[in-house]
Amino acid sequence: MTDYNSESSDPTKGVKRTNMGEDGTKDSKRIKTANGDEKYNPYLAHQYEDSSSQQNGFKSPLDQLERHNTTALQMSQAEDGERNPWTGEPHSQQYFKILQSRRDLPVHKQRQEFLDTYHSTQILVFVGETGSGKTTQIPQYVLFDELPFQTGKLIACTQPRRVAAMSVAQRVANELDVKLGEEVGYSIRFENKTGPKTMLKYMTDGQLLREAMHDHDMTRYSCIILDEAHERTLATDILMALLKQIAARRKDLKIIVMSATLDAQKFQSYFYNAPLLAVPGRTHPVEIFYTPEPERDYVEASVRTVLQIHATEPEGDILLFLTGEEEIEDACRRISLEVDDMIRESDAGPMRVYPLYGTLPPAQQQRIFDKAPEPLRKGGRPGRKCIVSTNIAETSLTIDGIVYVVDPGFSKQKIYNPRSRVESLLVSPISKASAQQRAGRAGRTRPGKCFRLYTEKAFKKELIEQTYPEILRSNLANTVLELKKLGVEDLVHFDLMDPPAPETMMRALEELNYLACLDDDGELTKLGSLASEFPLDPAVAVMLISSPEFYCSNEMLSITSLLSVPSIWIRPNNARKRADEMKAQFAHPDGDHLTLLNAYHAFKGAEQQGTDMKQWCHEHFLSFRHLSSADNVRAQLKRIMETHDIELISTPFQDKNYYINIRRALLAGFFMQVAMREGSNSKVYKTVKDDQLVMIHPSTVVTSPYDWVVYNEFVLTTKQYVRTVTNIRPEWLLEIAPIYYDVDSFEKGEIKSALSRVTEKVRRRQAIKGSGH
Amino acid sequence: MGLAGAKNKRKVGIDPNNTKWSRNTESFGQKMLRAKGWEPGQYLGAKDAPHASSYTEANVSHIRVTLKDDNMGLGAKRNNGDECTGLDAFQTLLGRLNGKTEDILESERKAREDTKLGLYVERKMGTIRFVKGGWLVGDTIKDAPVEKEKQPTRNLIEEFVTKNLEDKEISEAAEKKSKKRKADEEDDKDDEKARKKEKKDKKEKKRRSDTEAGTESDDSRSKRKEKKSKKRKSDNDDDDSTSSSKRRKDKSAETGESGSTDTSTPEVKLSKKERKEKKAQDKKEKKAQDKKEKKERKERRRKARASSGSEAEAGDSTSREKKRRKASDDSAGEEPASGTSTPGGSGYSTPAAVTTSSRFLSRQRFIAQKRMAFTDTVALNQIFMIKS
Repeated sequence: MTDYNSESSDPTKGVKRTNMGEDGTKDSKRIKTANGDEKYNPYLAHQYEDSSSQQNGFKSPLDQLERHNTTALQMSQAEDGERNPWTGEPHSQQYFKILQSRRDLPVHKQRQEFLDTYHSTQILVFVGETGSGKTTQIPQYVLFDELPFQTGKLIACTQPRRVAAMSVAQRVANELDVKLGEEVGYSIRFENKTGPKTMLKYMTDGQLLREAMHDHDMTRYSCIILDEAHERTLATDILMALLKQIAARRKDLKIIVMSATLDAQKFQSYFYNAPLLAVPGRTHPVEIFYTPEPERDYVEASVRTVLQIHATEPEGDILLFLTGEEEIEDACRRISLEVDDMIRESDAGPMRVYPLYGTLPPAQQQRIFDKAPEPLRKGGRPGRKCIVSTNIAETSLTIDGIVYVVDPGFSKQKIYNPRSRVESLLVSPISKASAQQRAGRAGRTRPGKCFRLYTEKAFKKELIEQTYPEILRSNLANTVLELKKLGVEDLVHFDLMDPPAPETMMRALEELNYLACLDDDGELTKLGSLASEFPLDPAVAVMLISSPEFYCSNEMLSITSLLSVPSIWIRPNNARKRADEMKAQFAHPDGDHLTLLNAYHAFKGAEQQGTDMKQWCHEHFLSFRHLSSADNVRAQLKRIMETHDIELISTPFQDKNYYINIRRALLAGFFMQVAMREGSNSKVYKTVKDDQLVMIHPSTVVTSPYDWVVYNEFVLTTKQYVRTVTNIRPEWLLEIAPIYYDVDSFEKGEIKSALSRVTEKVRRRQAIKGSGH
Repeated sequence: MGLAGAKNKRKVGIDPNNTKWSRNTESFGQKMLRAKGWEPGQYLGAKDAPHASSYTEANVSHIRVTLKDDNMGLGAKRNNGDECTGLDAFQTLLGRLNGKTEDILESERKAREDTKLGLYVERKMGTIRFVKGGWLVGDTIKDAPVEKEKQPTRNLIEEFVTKNLEDKEISEAAEKKSKKRKADEEDDKDDEKARKKEKKDKKEKKRRSDTEAGTESDDSRSKRKEKKSKKRKSDNDDDDSTSSSKRRKDKSAETGESGSTDTSTPEVKLSKKERKEKKAQDKKEKKAQDKKEKKERKERRRKARASSGSEAEAGDSTSREKKRRKASDDSAGEEPASGTSTPGGSGYSTPAAVTTSSRFLSRQRFIAQKRMAFTDTVALNQIFMIKS
């Protein structure tokens, strides 16, 4: 399409050049071919006409601009033009409306200052609180300065969240008056919406990291913007360290680190004292309230507070922070019920309650932006909305109209313990920094109030200063594998902003070594390199890669996809029994993994018969959304497997080894997640090598667990549980992971003696077989 | 948790922290790290990183958390309900041993009782809300006669203690604040902040007690009070004012007998504090200043009364006080002698150090306070649990 456009406008060379410019990402090579190929093609006449009518005679103001030497005034002029400077099309009506609102953003006032700083430095730290417009505007400012059509290089802007990458890209496409996926696109883990014309690309930080694996110098980009750096996700942290290295090699690469919090000094000192530019965000003061006494039940207290606000405070929306999906849904229900009562009993205004959490479907997430309800009758009390959210709403989402914030002081945080190798999501107190962030949400539109459900003393004494970055809270096996693939040799002195605990690093290296992703010298093996191609945990990737050896790669692919989405089982509180009965229909007595697979097969089977799947899922207490996203993940992984020539095979279903093969294949990746029963009839299991005492999670369908089980995850609640378990035989362990299960490496104990018994048995059996021959 | 508490039994393995693994120096991971020049006890990351100052213990070892499996609010203790009664008495005892002055203890006790009472009433009967009805000026009702006057507020949440975010940021995260932001604040806000910062310098507890006693009221504070969500609070204030007026009456009766000692027993600590405050608060209105002085006078008077009351220490302390009197007479002399008395009654005084050397001042004061505490019969009675 682009090429033809430029051909068409050939008669006047000058115009053609401008069109070339507008076509954004085209590199010089393509321009040449376009130049050489000037013949009129009658089959494309409709396109010629189209473009000539729209673009002939249009001279983009961008052509006069000099890269890295533009001013805010020039840009404003370019933006004010009749036609879109990037495409040459006339601007839509909506464009100017949006343009006006863009110019009201706080960040716009400092556009010139930004450009000056940007020109003067390679790395720039930019601080602007949520709502300053930095995520949408700064990349556009850069776009007008980098003029990608001159260099053929893109601008990347990373986001920690997929939803954010998608929605911001859409927003910016509207602002620039272009189609999403053309000049402005996005790229997230399982979806790539960019085209040859793309000049500005929003992407998840993980996605950029994956790209860097194949392009160590990030040569495709002329400027990389790391947004929401204050969230300190694992991928952002690694990108920062990586970009710091690349910046030394590539002087033409510009880097902008954007943060929403004020601890930017840390970023500054990390990036060789890069200049800092700050845009004020919060404009209104927020009054903080503490409770005089600690609350005994923070959920109840927060519900009460919300209701009290609704009853007594003037107009304004409420934002309540809770920890998890279940808690949020529960609170939403309770608040709605109580408000209904309030309306019935007295003349309270209407209130709409919206939940907000990561796993909520995007359409429902969007509902939080709905307007607060109208008063019930004319002149009645104003309505308001109440958003009950996880800490998503803390920094990354801007919801206008919030005046009251209720903060119980907790959030669910990932914690990793390298000693017991448990990664879990636990409810823990937030940090002071996040408490301030939460409070700040109240002052976006007018002076607000923040109600903290703890005492001032607790704030001072029980909260840590800063939230720990993800890199300190995660299992690093995947990260180490990625780093190896990125060509980082020296993991010890890799310049991370927050280097992880040595033990965590050791554990990661050890796991990768056992998985044969790293050889004994710490070098990446072929298997490791292949595993890093999968956006999965190394153990799962290895399992998938080795599944053809067990003749069940199709099935393992399904299981992997099902394990990488949230649980597909739905168990509503009011219908637990029926849900369990339905689950029992899919149950395989030997394992939860197999049960998952059965459910998936049933799902696919019903789909092929043309059943209404939503209805079917509802009847069977399965999550349609998670099943379909598993289906989507499966398709993506299948593509990766195909590109790397991993065979997709199945054992015939009638074969008695069908399920046995799957169970064995599980061990190829999960051999480090095995537990052995403690006593003969005990319910307690002991994890191999780490000797943690665990129980099998009550959600299991395995009725008679074996002495040995493989598990998918270790859950910490009041007790230590292993969830999603499958029965296995110890002989398989010795056969599939002989190095890990080298009996001599075990310490004296039950597991060692059990293993040596098994070894003995195997040897005897083989001897019998041998003598029989 | 007592014997009656819920049992939460859990079997724990022999080595729940898996120290077996962490002590193993032969593991693959450790070998790899050592090969690159890492030594146990070192951080990972770049050598001599400029940002290394911000490393925390989480960069050394994994993050420890406690497992939370209930809905208990932040800071709540499991046994809050069946707390032993009467521990409050010990609170004052311990406070005394730690050298807190009587009026601080008194106000702390008062604060405790206030919250207790407030919670009790709230739990028992709920709260009653009132609607603002304007101000009675002369014999007509007006909407708002004077600005910055305390207003009975409707519309407010009962449960919360208020505090402005601005204040918060200064005291909690001053260093986090970027210069940029600071510059953006308006001048008057800056002033307010400056004032608040000064206040912060004072002991936190002191500040609290001031709030509770309701004696200090510069305009920012009164503004804050305006916003204060507690009706209970405002009730307290009423109480305070009535009681203080009562006290004033008492005082006027007493002035005759104790007037002479009143003006002549300032403390080094007090005068020092006063100086500091004077410096800090010269922007404050005269009114606020007056109140402050009144309060100080009150304190001094109480102490004087106490010291004259307790025979045992009289000789020692009066001689000291005489010495000191000269030093701080001038500051005390300025003030009119229309003080008040407090129901103190514990019969001991907080001693003060004699030396002018500031180096030993605090230490000496501390020692003196401990000694006083032990010569104090009431305190000793409390220690030995003798009912008097």
